[in-house]
Amino acid sequence: MNINTLIEYISSTPLTWLILTLGSFKLGIIIYERFNKHTLLQPIIISYVTIISTLLLTGVSYTEYFKSVEIIHFFLGPATVALALPLYKNLKHIKSIFVPICITLVVSAIFSILVAVGILWILDANIITILSMTTKSITAPIAIVTSEQIGAIPSLAVSFVVITGILGALFGTSIFKFMGIKDDRAKGFALGVVSHGIGTARAVEISQKSAAFGALAMGLCGLFTAVFLPLVLVWIS
Amino acid sequence: MLKGIITLLIFQFLGGCIATLFSLLVPGPVIGMVLLLIFLMIRGSSFKSLDDVVSLHLRYLPLLFIPAAMGVITQVDIISKEFWAILISLVFGTIISLALSSKLMDYLITKKENKQK
Repeated sequence: MNINTLIEYISSTPLTWLILTLGSFKLGIIIYERFNKHTLLQPIIISYVTIISTLLLTGVSYTEYFKSVEIIHFFLGPATVALALPLYKNLKHIKSIFVPICITLVVSAIFSILVAVGILWILDANIITILSMTTKSITAPIAIVTSEQIGAIPSLAVSFVVITGILGALFGTSIFKFMGIKDDRAKGFALGVVSHGIGTARAVEISQKSAAFGALAMGLCGLFTAVFLPLVLVWIS
Repeated sequence: MLKGIITLLIFQFLGGCIATLFSLLVPGPVIGMVLLLIFLMIRGSSFKSLDDVVSLHLRYLPLLFIPAAMGVITQVDIISKEFWAILISLVFGTIISLALSSKLMDYLITKKENKQK
């Protein structure tokens, strides 16, 4: 029996962190499903709690953790390319109301960035926080590659993305009721354009039509923001 | 499924090549996404192995950004110092944007459909 060598193996193999990461996410899915897919119990929330507390308890640095699970991170690239397929499949919905979709997309994508950034600016936040806030309404894989591109902090950006998703899904229905929105297409599109995937998951509960417009909005908003945000930032500075 | 994986990787690779060649500011994978979209529009349909690989990626999408997300552990400084500013910005930003987006879309659709009648 060689306990010390075993401990060394466990703390040095990437398998430990890969199993913890995949396992915590699976646990997250189980909990999420058991509680009837409650918005606040997104599977990734369980991962945040489990992984961060393990890192703090063991004193392993984030750099070391990241190196062990980099193989998972790699798949963000192919996943971003993969978003073309749902966009392609929902593209047929554009034709029926082309002009309303284009106007809402451009106005909402710009407006949601300006409001969030404006509030941070008034409250005297740091430029890094402001930059990391600009990608909050787009789907996480695109937000990560875009935030790297514009010199923001990807980990902050992703966390803002997740919270924006949860908030949108939580308040969406009440906001639509308050604003007197009847059209399911408008509800779905707003959820997708502001709250990306998590918002679209909520749109699925409204109706199929709403879900299709959510998916469409999520793809278009991610694309629009990733193309124009870096250009605008370079132009401003 | 292999054909689907290769398709995604090739389009990501092409996107990266184009971004580098023209020193574009748009991230390579996003250009790859646009290229795949154009490819699908020209082809007129998707194929099974691409469907399978895409649904696998999208089903577990949040898992893929866990490695990046856990980096918040290194940002405790910013978060504790600007906690309220961040919270207010996220909550009000999301509520106001949802209200505006849904109202605008609802208004534009109603206007268009009334005109058609």
